[in-house]
Amino acid sequence: MNVTVNFFVMQITLIAVVLVLHTYLGLHIIRRGIIFSDLVLDQLAAFGVMVGIGWGIRYGTPLSYVLALGATLIGCALLAVLRPRNRLIPQEAVIGILYGMAMVASLLLADKMREGGASLNATLVGSMLWVSWPLVWVTIGIYAALGLLHALCRGPMLRLTEDPSAWPRRAAWDFLFFVTQGIITILIVPVAGVLLAYGFLMIPAAIGTMFSRRWVPALLIGWGTGFVACVLGVITSYRMDSPYGPTLMLAMGAFFVLALVVSTWLACRRSTVPAGLAAGSVGAETGGLR
Amino acid sequence: MNLASMLGFPFLACVLLSLILGYLGLHVLKREVIFIDIAVAQMAALGALAGHLFLGVPGDSVHALACGMSVTLVAAIFFAVARRKVVQLPIEAIIGITYAISAGGALFMIGKGTGGHTHVQDMLSGALLWVKGPELLWTGIAFAVVGACFGLFRKPFQRISDGYAEAVAAGMPVIGWDFLFYALCGIVITLAVRLAGVVVVFCFLIIPATVSAMFSARWGIRMMITWLVGIIGAGAGLLFAQWLDLSAGACVALALGLVLAASATGTLFRKTI
Repeated sequence: MNVTVNFFVMQITLIAVVLVLHTYLGLHIIRRGIIFSDLVLDQLAAFGVMVGIGWGIRYGTPLSYVLALGATLIGCALLAVLRPRNRLIPQEAVIGILYGMAMVASLLLADKMREGGASLNATLVGSMLWVSWPLVWVTIGIYAALGLLHALCRGPMLRLTEDPSAWPRRAAWDFLFFVTQGIITILIVPVAGVLLAYGFLMIPAAIGTMFSRRWVPALLIGWGTGFVACVLGVITSYRMDSPYGPTLMLAMGAFFVLALVVSTWLACRRSTVPAGLAAGSVGAETGGLR
Repeated sequence: MNLASMLGFPFLACVLLSLILGYLGLHVLKREVIFIDIAVAQMAALGALAGHLFLGVPGDSVHALACGMSVTLVAAIFFAVARRKVVQLPIEAIIGITYAISAGGALFMIGKGTGGHTHVQDMLSGALLWVKGPELLWTGIAFAVVGACFGLFRKPFQRISDGYAEAVAAGMPVIGWDFLFYALCGIVITLAVRLAGVVVVFCFLIIPATVSAMFSARWGIRMMITWLVGIIGAGAGLLFAQWLDLSAGACVALALGLVLAASATGTLFRKTI
């Protein structure tokens, strides 16, 4: 196979597979209002990797992945258990504090390491340009297994997202949810970097949410637009010789802004209520998420 | 060099930060826009970078600061309009995606420049220990002006933070007030991040406000608690950093985290007895 064609097929296959589960989990995350939970897990995974580097374990080796998984599992348990009953403290504040503390731990560690700054940066940028077919196959395998798990557990997972108030053993289900999110984080962050991984999770799901309150249409819209945006990003990056990850991110960003304008215009057109009351009524009509 | 002359300026900087960010944090927590700090800091960095690349503005100059602030003003307009008009998505999701896109934009412009990682670490942890007198003075004056604005407009700001839907129903011009709020927020955060780095500013913004929520629901009492927590955390963190020879910013953030953990444990204990 031609080298260029091989490169495109590999990248696009990886993106197509990754986007399915990311969009689905992203829909859960947006509906639960835990927008930055992914950054906590990303940061903890990076912390685990950095601890490994401190002990002389190289970035990207199996042991490094194990350490990242260990740190992420602690984060998953904390995210599932720490649920404030005080209505003045939103769940997102707990996520913020966990993120802050994970960041502080990484900075203190980077401070004491010779190549601390460089390893901190490596976790931000990733190296998606260097993916290989074995990595693509491993990713497809693990994503398929996790997708199957989510398909089997979709009942409780969806109910927990739609109405978490009356659900037994909520912490255990939440832990399972965060563990799947953690595993895909560990897999994708070394490849795509923290930012692009966050973009894959949030942007297609946000686009889907804007156009439909129902799960399947939102998933299809999110996946479709995310995929088209990424393919355009890959082509632009190749043709213009621009940095790979940021170009994909900006392509998805352009689609997000376009979707924001179109969906708001549609919501305004549908709304016939006077402007003063529009927030509540349009919210109710389109299933607004406030 | 004795302890007072070494930690005097950093401690003063922390007091300034805790005074202004403590109050702002109460609003941020009520509005559930927790990650506004990270998004605004990223937008300001994007503005400064664009100024450097397209206008040739030196990275550490007043002009670069102005470029950064112009971008945060655009973001303020965007957040104010989006909060009112975009009902399909929670505002925190829009903030999160804005952060990701602006970070992508900054990385796009940097490409793979050398020395990027040092910059990343500096922007995150800041250089709190090396803060200078004149810088502190100018930042203090700017914070005083912004603080006066917050004092002057506290009623509409608090009304919108307490209940957005009610404020809309009462016919308040929420977009205008929100724009002013996010613009002031942008000024404070851009200046604060220059002083202490994103992580420390984030911790000053969220942690004292969260601690105060454990003890009271009233604005006045919560404000006093946030200031007290901020100043205690700053003092303890700086001494800790000095004692163990660690990064000052990270230690202050850690100390704030410990104050929060102690308060949470205390609250649990109080409820069980």
